[in-house]
Amino acid sequence: MATRTDGPARGAQLGRFERVPWRRVILLLLAILIAAVAVIGAYKTLTLPADERYTASTWKDFIVLGIAQGAIIALIALGYTLVYGILRMINFAHGEVFMFGAFAAYFFSSAWEESGFLDSNPWLSMAILFAIAMLVSMTVAILLERIAYRPLRNAPRLVPLITAIGASLVLQNTARGFFGAQSRGFGVPAALEGTWTIFGLELDRIQVLVIITVVLAVAGLSLFVARTKTGKSMRAVAADTEIASLMGIRVDRVIVTTFAIGGLLAGIAAILFSITFESVNFTMGVRPGIAAFTAAVLGGIGSISGAALGGVLLGLLQSLGPALILTGYEIPSAFQLKDAFTFLVLVLVLIFRPGGLLGSDEAEKV
Amino acid sequence: MDGVPTGSVIRSGVIGGLVAIYIALVGLYTKFADLALVGEQVTLGRVLIVAPALITAYAVTRPRVVAGERRAATLRQGLAIGALAGLITGAVFGAAVAFAEWFGVERIREVFVAVTEPLIDFLTFGMGVPAGLLVLAGWCVVGGLVGGFARTAPLALRRPASVGIVAVILFGLLQRIVPIVFVELGYEADWLYSPITKGLTWLGGLFVFALAAGADILWRRSGDGTRDRIRTGVYERPAARIGFLVVLLAVLAVLPLLLGTVISEVLGQVMIYVLLGLGLNIVVGYAGLLDLGYVAFFAFGAYATGLLTGAMLNTTTGAAEPAISADLNFYAAVWIVMLLAAGVGLLIGAPVLRLRGDYLAIVTLGLGEIVSVITASKWAQPLIGGPQGMRGVSKAEIFGLNPQDHPQDFYYLALAFVLFALFVSWRLAASRVGRAWTAMREDEQVADAMGVSTIKYKLLAFAMGGAIGSLGGALFAVSLGSLTPASFEFLVSITALAVVILGGLGSLPGVVVGALVLIGLPGLLREFEEYRQLIYGGALVAIMILRPQGLIPNVRRSRELKEEEVTQDAWARDGTGEIEAVAAVLPGGALGVEEEDLE
Repeated sequence: MATRTDGPARGAQLGRFERVPWRRVILLLLAILIAAVAVIGAYKTLTLPADERYTASTWKDFIVLGIAQGAIIALIALGYTLVYGILRMINFAHGEVFMFGAFAAYFFSSAWEESGFLDSNPWLSMAILFAIAMLVSMTVAILLERIAYRPLRNAPRLVPLITAIGASLVLQNTARGFFGAQSRGFGVPAALEGTWTIFGLELDRIQVLVIITVVLAVAGLSLFVARTKTGKSMRAVAADTEIASLMGIRVDRVIVTTFAIGGLLAGIAAILFSITFESVNFTMGVRPGIAAFTAAVLGGIGSISGAALGGVLLGLLQSLGPALILTGYEIPSAFQLKDAFTFLVLVLVLIFRPGGLLGSDEAEKV
Repeated sequence: MDGVPTGSVIRSGVIGGLVAIYIALVGLYTKFADLALVGEQVTLGRVLIVAPALITAYAVTRPRVVAGERRAATLRQGLAIGALAGLITGAVFGAAVAFAEWFGVERIREVFVAVTEPLIDFLTFGMGVPAGLLVLAGWCVVGGLVGGFARTAPLALRRPASVGIVAVILFGLLQRIVPIVFVELGYEADWLYSPITKGLTWLGGLFVFALAAGADILWRRSGDGTRDRIRTGVYERPAARIGFLVVLLAVLAVLPLLLGTVISEVLGQVMIYVLLGLGLNIVVGYAGLLDLGYVAFFAFGAYATGLLTGAMLNTTTGAAEPAISADLNFYAAVWIVMLLAAGVGLLIGAPVLRLRGDYLAIVTLGLGEIVSVITASKWAQPLIGGPQGMRGVSKAEIFGLNPQDHPQDFYYLALAFVLFALFVSWRLAASRVGRAWTAMREDEQVADAMGVSTIKYKLLAFAMGGAIGSLGGALFAVSLGSLTPASFEFLVSITALAVVILGGLGSLPGVVVGALVLIGLPGLLREFEEYRQLIYGGALVAIMILRPQGLIPNVRRSRELKEEEVTQDAWARDGTGEIEAVAAVLPGGALGVEEEDLE
């Protein structure tokens, strides 16, 4: 924004000189303070007396858990990033798209759990569950775009954001009205319980499945965007909607495709999330949704590799952060503050580096 | 028929049917089946059966542009199209009901919890599947006819009829409030509202319809000159304005005496949200900074009031003294709370000065959520009670009033706060500060270039907004006497935002109306409680799509929202504003939107 190309006039430079320092200094002090708090906390945690300290295997569990959950977050984050890249809008209701996929799969998995199909054909049933969740999430995403967002395509930027918040509430409470308010247990095939030993590491089977699926999905998406014709038109629309439409690209269709892809990925994430936490309810989309958005911003919103990186980093931060930093300060039940960590990261990224880790560092996002 | 888009009618009819199925699945029919509006037969549930067909028909008979020419349907066409759309809606809906009966209600219920035998009974009017479906389709056709009529009948006919029907539904919904007023005033109410069904009697329904329709006819008859005189009289002549204010204040002062404790309590809740709305209105409406973490100020106001007035922490064993605490009088504490909240506003505002638009929204959302998470965590136990919360907030007794225990007394306290906040907001908007905010909202860079210190005014907006929002929190703390973290969720921010947006960003009467509609109506009808969030969400989406300037728009603000269309905007012309505002609130909404274009 605000390309100041009037040349290096002396006045402008002086103005800059006068205005910038105090703000920079305050931010710098804040950064140093936060870094100090984190480092001292980590140091205190690691030097706790041996009987209070976490063991090496606990740390390993934290890391694997963080990567697995971060991978799920990354999948949802891709949905945010794709839509933002093309429409420059935050699809606040994306968490609810994810939730509907989980509910749809739940009804099948619970029926199959009773009939024994889930345990007798674990891989086939998982494949069908993935297909169902993807289909339903995709449908919800497309309907959402059609009903709530398309009429506002050219509205000022805050209008779609407010609509998205409204749509998120509507979808949540629709699920509540349709399926009831109580949480329901999500069945997991017996074949996925227990652990596998890979490279001498003992890993939860579900976590292995999660990580492999996410790697495949991200690779597939990258190939799709880089290699296919649709992917190319998506990139064109992201670069400049108007020019793209002049070049004969059907912008509306590209936008619907983008929402559909986001929905498909959210559907995959929904199954992975459900088998990890073994429960579904109508508010399950809220926190993962915000975490995913944070991940997308952390990695640099609009960038696919950024979303993937951001997801894994955030997952690690959520699982390691409270244990590593807060335990040292003897804060009771540090894991209650896990979500505060997410939000703190979000706020700090936006304040210090709004472009994210892999994005360009624009100070002003208009 | 010439110019009747058959494809569009069929499509709309199917959409209407899907909407009806959605209403059934989400459980609204079951919930409102027995809420009588008029007599025993007209229940809100039944109105909802007719509504999808009605709205569909109303939408599909809209004037269309054919070959560059605007064509409005004639009455006969309108009725025919409406009936057809209604029939298709009824057919789709009926097919779904028949399917449910054939497939087995119990089996569907395993997924959709609202599908029950009573629901099928209700939708088939107790007549079972083949016969009842015909009745259902018949009512949908009636709905379609009414919708077509509401669009294409002569203005002199459809306007009073629409206003009358909307008034009957509104009075039917206000069944907990109007009879009480009658009784308190010493009048008999049984002829108007039945003591058995609680809704209007048939006589009452007719009376309300006649009154509303008659008022509308008189208002239309009186001619433009009279209307303008009345309008300018109220708005511009100082004497009339002062008189209006005095009457308004007098009504507000006697209201709780007329309404009894239950409704005074509801009004108290409404006023808490009016305060939140007013505070948020400064940040979002005046300064254009979308704040999604406004709950932070609400929570801060509530807990700070608790701490300053000597509340105790709840613990598993009893009560404990908070780590920091004072034992001040509420009326001394509230000023300190406001000052501190302004300080918190500065703290929140300072780091986010450089961010704009949705990035600002997300950062504030994050900050608000941090506050919620920390409030509910064990870490916060020694200061504010953590998950257990605190109790024993000051009762705020004054002049023999006891706001905590008597809802009517609370009403007066809340009213005083609201009037104070309204006055501050009103004067701010007209001041140099207000104009600076407007400039900044419309174009930050231009404002900066014109010498408006955007940093200063942004900070000021956060501080002022925070201070007023904390007043809402302080009131909330007094009203309950105890605080738990469950009251300070993200939903509070969303509700406040919905209040401001429904009423119209930057509009003070809008905030009051928004709070009355969003907090007052659901509060008056307990049945709505479960669907409160659904209504908020739906209201946000619908307002943004249909009427982004809100119910009672702030003129300048709405120009920004619809910049390019400003000249053809219905509200910008004289006269349509208020009527639309009433119509858009109610089911069947937007009755007056394109009135003038047609005639």
